[in-house]
Amino acid sequence: MGAEPLELLPGTLYMLILRTLLRGPMHGYAIARRIKESSSDVLTVEEGSLYPALNRMLVKGWLIAKWGISENNRRARFYQLTPEGRAVLRHEQKQFQSLVNAIFQVMDTA
Amino acid sequence: MRAWKELIRRLGYLGRRRRFDSELEEEIRFHLETRVEELVQGGLPERDARAQARQEFGRQNRIFEDSRSAWQFLLLEDLLADLRYAGRALRRNPAFVAAATLSLALGIGANLAIFSLTMEFLFSRPSVRDPQSLAYIILGGGSNAAPAQYRFLNDAHLFEGLAGLNPETETNWRHGEHTYRVWGTRVTDNFFDVLGVPVALGRPIHAGDQREAVLSDAFWRGRIGGDPNILGRGLIFDGLLYTVVGILPPDHRTLIGFGFSPDLYLTIDPTSAGNETTIMLYARLPSSTTRQAVYPRLLALCRQLDKVFPRAEYKWSNNTEMRGVAGLERLKLLSGMPIAAFFGMLMTVVGLVLLIACANVASLLLARAASRQHELAIRQSIGASRGRIVRQLLAESLLLAMLGTVAGLLLNLAMAAIANRIRLPLPVPVRLQIQPDWRLLFYAIGLAMVSALVCGLMPALKATKGDVQTALKLGERSVSARLGFRRVLVIAQLMVSVVLLLTGFLFLRNLSLSNSLSPGFDIHHSVWAYMRLVPERYSSEDSAEARNKIENVSRQAIERLRRLPGVESAATAAIVPLNDNVKFGGDVFVDSKSQAQQLFYTGNWIGPDYFKTMGIPLLAGREFLAADRNGAPRVLILNQSMARRLFGEQNPVGHRLRFHDDPPAAIVGVVKNSKYFSLGERDLPAVFWSDAQSSRAAVNLNFLLRTPQPGSILTEVNKALGAIDATAAIDVKPMSRTLGLALLPSRAGAVLLGSMGVLGLLLAAVGLYGLLMYSVSRRIREIGIRVALGAKPGTVGCMVCRGSLLLVGAGLGIGGVLGYFAAVPLAMFLVPELSPHDPVSLITVFATLLLVALAATFPPVIRALRIDPMVALRYE
Repeated sequence: MGAEPLELLPGTLYMLILRTLLRGPMHGYAIARRIKESSSDVLTVEEGSLYPALNRMLVKGWLIAKWGISENNRRARFYQLTPEGRAVLRHEQKQFQSLVNAIFQVMDTA
Repeated sequence: MRAWKELIRRLGYLGRRRRFDSELEEEIRFHLETRVEELVQGGLPERDARAQARQEFGRQNRIFEDSRSAWQFLLLEDLLADLRYAGRALRRNPAFVAAATLSLALGIGANLAIFSLTMEFLFSRPSVRDPQSLAYIILGGGSNAAPAQYRFLNDAHLFEGLAGLNPETETNWRHGEHTYRVWGTRVTDNFFDVLGVPVALGRPIHAGDQREAVLSDAFWRGRIGGDPNILGRGLIFDGLLYTVVGILPPDHRTLIGFGFSPDLYLTIDPTSAGNETTIMLYARLPSSTTRQAVYPRLLALCRQLDKVFPRAEYKWSNNTEMRGVAGLERLKLLSGMPIAAFFGMLMTVVGLVLLIACANVASLLLARAASRQHELAIRQSIGASRGRIVRQLLAESLLLAMLGTVAGLLLNLAMAAIANRIRLPLPVPVRLQIQPDWRLLFYAIGLAMVSALVCGLMPALKATKGDVQTALKLGERSVSARLGFRRVLVIAQLMVSVVLLLTGFLFLRNLSLSNSLSPGFDIHHSVWAYMRLVPERYSSEDSAEARNKIENVSRQAIERLRRLPGVESAATAAIVPLNDNVKFGGDVFVDSKSQAQQLFYTGNWIGPDYFKTMGIPLLAGREFLAADRNGAPRVLILNQSMARRLFGEQNPVGHRLRFHDDPPAAIVGVVKNSKYFSLGERDLPAVFWSDAQSSRAAVNLNFLLRTPQPGSILTEVNKALGAIDATAAIDVKPMSRTLGLALLPSRAGAVLLGSMGVLGLLLAAVGLYGLLMYSVSRRIREIGIRVALGAKPGTVGCMVCRGSLLLVGAGLGIGGVLGYFAAVPLAMFLVPELSPHDPVSLITVFATLLLVALAATFPPVIRALRIDPMVALRYE
């Protein structure tokens, strides 16, 4: 699939990161790759926005970070969801879903 | 809660900033390495893989910045950095800092002092629990209610509690061989419980107490020596033994406010027969109700009162109100609005002083900015935005303002300590307790912010406006020394100080006029002896009998006093003029006419020889005689004003007057007008009744004596009165010392506004001096050339003087016009003899300002004359 990489919708980065981390703790590189893979290469997270976003989420208390050993045997920083992060994800997902539904509804009927 | 946790996480970051950076670096390195590995596995040579990974990754700096900023308090950190920088910049220039701080400290200190005085005097919070749920009840239009009505309301249980107090009760304290007059507020037994008044030692008065007392801290320390063993012991007040149960804390503030501080609280004696002590009613509203909600039920209760205690003229239900006990409501209630206006004027005046001080600092900052133009231009040219530099410069003025505020606060604490020690010459005990509190702190912070902006904004904007290129090229020295805006500032300062000085001087004139105003009676050869009898000793079921007992004492006292050596005459009076007053208004009938005249007038109940003793000339007829007593034909004496109102130029002696429903009385004399309540009043009509024909039975007796040497007979008088009744409280003083109350407003005004005027003038003089000095130092080279070319010293001096004169002339001109209008509302505080456009004041103010301006111009002129052309030219 050689689809053209698309710009992320504003505000969705947090949601994507939270959703990705639902499977378990991950380091930054894995998060970026994971988002890219699961969107069939459509979505690319720029490193320039990934790390600041991760830090902002740490400040908000949605994530915690721990140092661990990566699959390639290096010291890496793993991010993990907090209960608050889970709650935020549920909320964001619902909001986003209803937004998308609404948009589709308009696109179908109008 | 969430925001709180976030704040804690952010604060945690502040402690590990360095570790954060190294961790982020490691994380990014890991990211890059992993990507490189991946690319190499995909078949790319390692070098190309590394290059591609780096390229994909983008600018690392940005990632660092953005990640860090997620954790930072950006504004705060910028501000701290700015303040640090400002601190360094200011440290290099201590003279500038000292001048600016001193100016601001004086301005802000004056503001804080007046602010805390105002807050304490007008808005002090009474020492009660939850003042918001308290209400003062005006029952049937009366400020006080009688015990019967109190009991009726209390039994209805409409409120959570209903308590009462009688604030103005003097009481006689028998201590050893002496009897002292002290101030005791009499309260109902539930007063402390209902209002929640805290005590420092012992316990409050509780419901069910009958003869208990709570002492004020000042009374306990000052009169009992601070002995804690007094608790549980008895003290004798008004001849009865009261048990001391508690001591109030030193900062106790009464419900009345205005600094009123009685010596103690006493229970109202419920057992004493015929006790008719009226009380002010304070109700504690049930929680979760409001005054508005309770009011209809109170009115319903008043309608019942109308049935139980019917009154002819005033219905209870028509004139009943509920008012708040703190803040503005209390002010309005106690007709404190003129006092509030006075404090409003004070606040305006100190605000103006602060403006002058700020103008000084702004002027200094402008000069400083001019000499830093080169530095600022460099900073702008290497990329600092104008906003950033303005913020930086504002941080400097904020730092100055903070320094000034701290110094001002210290100044204020010192002044408050002095103010607290002042005992005001008032007939009731007033004690100010000015203490720094959160209101003062907030006000100080607000002042610091405002003055930072007022001082700093204009100079900062002006300093950054110029063209960067020119400023860079011209270099540090030759940037034009334009003084335009600073001139405007100095003119404005002079202008404002004209207004300030004029205000201050008007009040000084007011004081000197008040002092010279004759009260219309002789204060230098008279003595006032006050004697208060213990009510219980003279009370009786039969009011005529009670009156006889008191009259006996009074007659004995006058006889003894007359016999004292040096006493020319002695008289009794119900009211001592300028210390108390009564006002009447109503119908007056002349002779047998049925047509009434509506008049407002004051009055007094006096004994024989009153006018002779007071030195008030008798214009027609005679004084009261001992024979003018009950049973004899009723008589009265009018003053000139009253006589003229009723009879014109006709001689009123022999005519008869009737007031309201009183029996008619014959006019036996006319006396000259004098002052009755304030020195400022003008020719009030007055009526004098013979005290022996009245039905008054007051335990407060005033004796007035005429003697060539008032100072020498005070102890004799005291002894003579004490011998009649040892339980009576006696206070004897020369009449000249009793004008304190009458002179208080003009004295306070003169002291406060006079000192503010002087302060403003000094600050403005410093501003003028600074500007002239600066302008001379800027023109050294020019003056040097002029002198080298043969200019005479006179010409150089004139040049500097002309600059000064222009400024002073403009300031005085505009200030004079402003002052003319600003002074108009002051008339309400001045004696009628003094116009707010008093020419003497205006001329004096102008002369003073000119003199001070001259003094401020002198040093710069000297400096200009000392310029040596050789040195000046080499200097450039």
